[in-house]
Amino acid sequence: MSVEALHEEEALGKAYDLRLLARLWRYVRPYRGQVALTLLLVVPLFVLELTPAWIVKVGLDTVIAPAIAGAAPAATTAPAGGHAAPSANALAAAAANRLGLDGAAHLFAPPHGFPPLAWLACLYLVFMFASAGLQFVHAVVMSWTGQSAMRDLRTDVFRHVQRLHLGFFDRYPVGRLVTRASNDVENVAEMFAAGIVALVTDVVKMLGIAAILLWLDPRLALAAFTVVPLLAVATIWFRLGVRNAFRLTRVRIARINAVLQESITGMKVVQLFTREDRNLRDFAKLNADHRDAWYDSIRYDSALFAAVEVAQGISVAILIWYGTGVAAAGTLYVFIDWMRRFFLPLRDLSAKYSVMQSSMASCERIFQLLDTPPAVKEVAPEAARLPAARRGEVEFRDVSFAYQNEDWVLRDVSFRVAPGERVAFVGATGAGKTSVIKLLTRLYEPQRGEILLDGVPIRELPQAELRRRVAMVLQDVFLFSGSVAENVRLGRPDLDDAAVERAARAVEAHRFIEKLPEGYGTELRERGTNLSAGQRQLLSFARALAHGADVLVLDEATSSIDTETEALIQTALRRLWEGRTALVIAHRLSTIQDVDRIYVLHKGRIVEHGSHAELLAAGGVYHRLHRLQHPADERSAGSVAAG
Amino acid sequence: MSATALEATGAAQARPGLRRLLVYATHNKGTYTIWLLTTLGYVAAFVALPLLVGHAIAAAEKGLPRSEVALRCGLILVVTLARFAFRYWSRTLVFNAAREIEYELRNDLFAHLQRLPQSFYQRSRTGDLMSRCVNDLGSVRLLLGPGILNLLQTPILFASVLAAMVAIDPRLALAVLVPYPLFIVISRGFGGRLHRSNLAVQEGLAELSNGLQETIAGISVVKTYAMEDAVTRRFAAVNDGLYRRQLSLVKVNAAMPPILSVLPAAAMGIVFWVGGGEVLARRMALSDFFTFSMYVYELTFPTFILGWVVALVQRGAAAMQRIEEVLSERPSIADRPDAVAVSRLRGEIEFRGLTFRYPGVGRSPALRDLHLRIPAGTSLGVVGPVGAGKTTLASVIPRLFEVDDGQLFLDGIDVNRIPLATLRRNIAMVPQDAFLFSMSLADNVAYGLPETDRGAVVEAATRAQLARDVDDLPQGYDTIVGERGVMLSGGQRQRTALARALALRPSILILDDTLSAVDAETEVLIQEGLAEHFEGRTVVVIAHRVSTVRDCDQIVVLDEGRIVERGSHEQLVAAGGLYARLARRQALEAELDEGPGVAAS
Repeated sequence: MSVEALHEEEALGKAYDLRLLARLWRYVRPYRGQVALTLLLVVPLFVLELTPAWIVKVGLDTVIAPAIAGAAPAATTAPAGGHAAPSANALAAAAANRLGLDGAAHLFAPPHGFPPLAWLACLYLVFMFASAGLQFVHAVVMSWTGQSAMRDLRTDVFRHVQRLHLGFFDRYPVGRLVTRASNDVENVAEMFAAGIVALVTDVVKMLGIAAILLWLDPRLALAAFTVVPLLAVATIWFRLGVRNAFRLTRVRIARINAVLQESITGMKVVQLFTREDRNLRDFAKLNADHRDAWYDSIRYDSALFAAVEVAQGISVAILIWYGTGVAAAGTLYVFIDWMRRFFLPLRDLSAKYSVMQSSMASCERIFQLLDTPPAVKEVAPEAARLPAARRGEVEFRDVSFAYQNEDWVLRDVSFRVAPGERVAFVGATGAGKTSVIKLLTRLYEPQRGEILLDGVPIRELPQAELRRRVAMVLQDVFLFSGSVAENVRLGRPDLDDAAVERAARAVEAHRFIEKLPEGYGTELRERGTNLSAGQRQLLSFARALAHGADVLVLDEATSSIDTETEALIQTALRRLWEGRTALVIAHRLSTIQDVDRIYVLHKGRIVEHGSHAELLAAGGVYHRLHRLQHPADERSAGSVAAG
Repeated sequence: MSATALEATGAAQARPGLRRLLVYATHNKGTYTIWLLTTLGYVAAFVALPLLVGHAIAAAEKGLPRSEVALRCGLILVVTLARFAFRYWSRTLVFNAAREIEYELRNDLFAHLQRLPQSFYQRSRTGDLMSRCVNDLGSVRLLLGPGILNLLQTPILFASVLAAMVAIDPRLALAVLVPYPLFIVISRGFGGRLHRSNLAVQEGLAELSNGLQETIAGISVVKTYAMEDAVTRRFAAVNDGLYRRQLSLVKVNAAMPPILSVLPAAAMGIVFWVGGGEVLARRMALSDFFTFSMYVYELTFPTFILGWVVALVQRGAAAMQRIEEVLSERPSIADRPDAVAVSRLRGEIEFRGLTFRYPGVGRSPALRDLHLRIPAGTSLGVVGPVGAGKTTLASVIPRLFEVDDGQLFLDGIDVNRIPLATLRRNIAMVPQDAFLFSMSLADNVAYGLPETDRGAVVEAATRAQLARDVDDLPQGYDTIVGERGVMLSGGQRQRTALARALALRPSILILDDTLSAVDAETEVLIQEGLAEHFEGRTVVVIAHRVSTVRDCDQIVVLDEGRIVERGSHEQLVAAGGLYARLARRQALEAELDEGPGVAAS
């Protein structure tokens, strides 16, 4: 994790990565209809965007120019400089022919009695509105695609995270997981709205405009495009420069934020050791580095922004100088208008570049998370085995387990619990008691040995099946936000209200639930803080009972519970394990005196086993544990069993 | 959380923040003045360009010689280049100024955070503070950069263009202007909708992260009850909700540019219709038609941007308000005017009826009427159950929390009147959580020293029994540790924190349950080293284990904020109270730990 954190910002150089894009495509594929639609819309969008200028051209060439020409020949755009120019009308007609716009020309002709200029102005507005409308549709479809794909990606991230084994969560902070599912996914979505699709659209648009202009008037077009190589050089220079500048700013802001985060968490130490001044100096230096890196970025960005405007200006100057000799006013107008649209996409290139860069980095991080293999693997359906009968027999065979490397928490643990039997595990803190149940429920996988349920290794049992048969009541009763009933049901829709209430009654939880403001419908706050520890324990019993497992695993609460509730819990417990196999992890030894057998764990090994009385008589570890918890009864240790 | 801040942004609440921003802006007066001049230059070039285009076309229109046309086109080029220079200059200036202010603001925030007392950190979440320092600062920077640029430039631009158009043809100029007032209506309507949609998405994201956090917090329950599918369904529902909210935001966002583009389009339609009519009626030259259409076209982009800027300014103001909340937090623990000029403490500590209550409504006191004197050079052991007030007792000595005057004295001086620098130079405290920074082990040990002195580091590390572990680390003392470095074991971290405190050579050493993760054997070694080293210094040891405090000169037992027992180890054991019970219990535990081979006594 630490290595990842250090290198997290190093991967930010690329603005596109085909490998990542290919993987992303899997999420976009279901929406390829929408993708096709966005691409198809580019054509009408393009036409609608260019048409209004053409309408002005028609107006200039067919309405205004002839009127002016008829009145005073000097006022035409025809040159005095000796260029042999065809008449404006002829040129317009020729161009229209070339574009196959003869039919369209009829469209531009006003209906009878309508002033031609007014008609054209109306057409102009209609096209503009249509263009605006289509732009809206296009943008919505584009973002819609992105959001749909990202919704699926997000669910995938969530599903994957759940499959990861518990050890993963010890290393990977929750905050980072939340960032993956929220900010990072948002960043990738940005790419659909402003990044790659916009980039494709822009390129298509630029090529299209260039082609049409060349077709319309090759000489004028070539003249206007003389600025393009200049701009191309500027763009390449920009791309090279901005890539490093952006990377630098990101690396530096990441460093600043890391220091900031660390300072806030460790502020007590900072203040205790009066490091404020020195830390501020160091921080100011990092901060200044970051600011200076931005100065570079700003220079590139502003230069490109301004360069695009220069290119526009130069092309206009060239068009007028060259065009007034050879082209009609309308053509000139179209050229000026369309050339501007040609340059426009380049203006926010830097913004797009930065979007792409951060999308790709986010993408990479998300896929890294998705590539983390779940350590506890689900058995392949064809290899899955189900026990012949549901009896509730549990067996550990030479099980050894370590959370990390060779730090063995359990060593060669073997035991067998017959159906309906009740056993308890005791031992000092860290003896390995809790690990036994984490292995039985396959939250972790042992390194050596085999765990069997009704004679079948649990590795070969589908996980859902295993968990249906083994119910766990954990020490720390976790309640989800939701109603009381939902917290008993835990996602099993087949448990109706009656079943929930039956379970609650059986474990003495019904009485307190009834007293809650809305009974079973009472919303529990986050982590169930509106219930007492004892009530939460009872609720968790109801959970286990309602789910009807064959094997019950109880991790006894260590937190103090008032005596009244404690009595309730004891009654409930007896009710709960009736007719079931029960494994109890005992922390207080008080609940286990009527179990069939007690296993004493010490430093990962089973060192003693037997009944309470036998173990006390043996005077070993159990005896000492017992003395520890009942120091007052030391002299009458033997008689404690009764009380 | 940012959602609620956005919601609360009335103009009135945002005012103090904006006032502070103005102060920062005045730091950069020079830059902003030059920027204003360049903006005027840019506007001049902006207005001139369409005029020159018309001028050049007019030359052709009137049949002037080609050389005249070329000359006028050359003028376009010159003005274009001037416009480039002004544009580049003005953008760079204002964006750099924004970065400069961001830099100053971030430094000030950092400095301020360092001055805020622990009580502030107890009630603030790290994530929230980070979000203010990162996201909100970013929004403020956008307000200062593109926000101010456009907010100031666009009106000047519009006014100048209007003036130029009126000069050419007042009737057409007024006609062209007709659609623009709609901008106010549109931006009003969108502003509200955008705000609401943004808020909804923020809430959706918060809900999503809550769901994720809850699932991960309860992951064992999820797994043991095979709830994966149910939980995924639940997540998918939240996710769907977010998706729907995002789609409505997408619609608002996507609608803004096309709707705003209708304004210049309508203006252009008017130019075409009315202007074309004027040209036909020979009241206007064709070249002026070009000039007008170019003006309208050039105003398209500023109009777009203005729509975006409105949202930007709104968000920036809300963000500044959230930053202001932090900056206006009073650093309650600071040197007082009546501070006593003292630089060295002998180490006598005296509590005179100290009662301390953590800030917050209805909280019972953590320490009640504490009377205790620790003579300089002696040691005090503090034991007691969880929540008894042990850590609080330790924390008030170096003034991590504020106590009332007249209740706590060091060397007979009220702790509140001792300069903070003196106080903390003379007191070294090892807090319960051994927090290490992402720097080398040596730098961590030398954290409180003016510079990393290898000799002092090694000495402190040796005393803390850390030195023997150093060889096992990849780069010895230069190994980067902390959250982003090598993971040390709990015991190693505690010993590093101890070494860090020892390196200060303080008059008073406070150990707040510092050795809980250190094994018993090492603990004995450390204590032996300390006994020798701390001869003549004051030591306060807070512990869970009786064995840790048994050799202290005096021991107090705290329960519910009160001293319930006091005396030496022998006295307390003999008294048979809470301490004696604890001692016996721990002796048994220690015995148990030795394993099954050892017979019970």
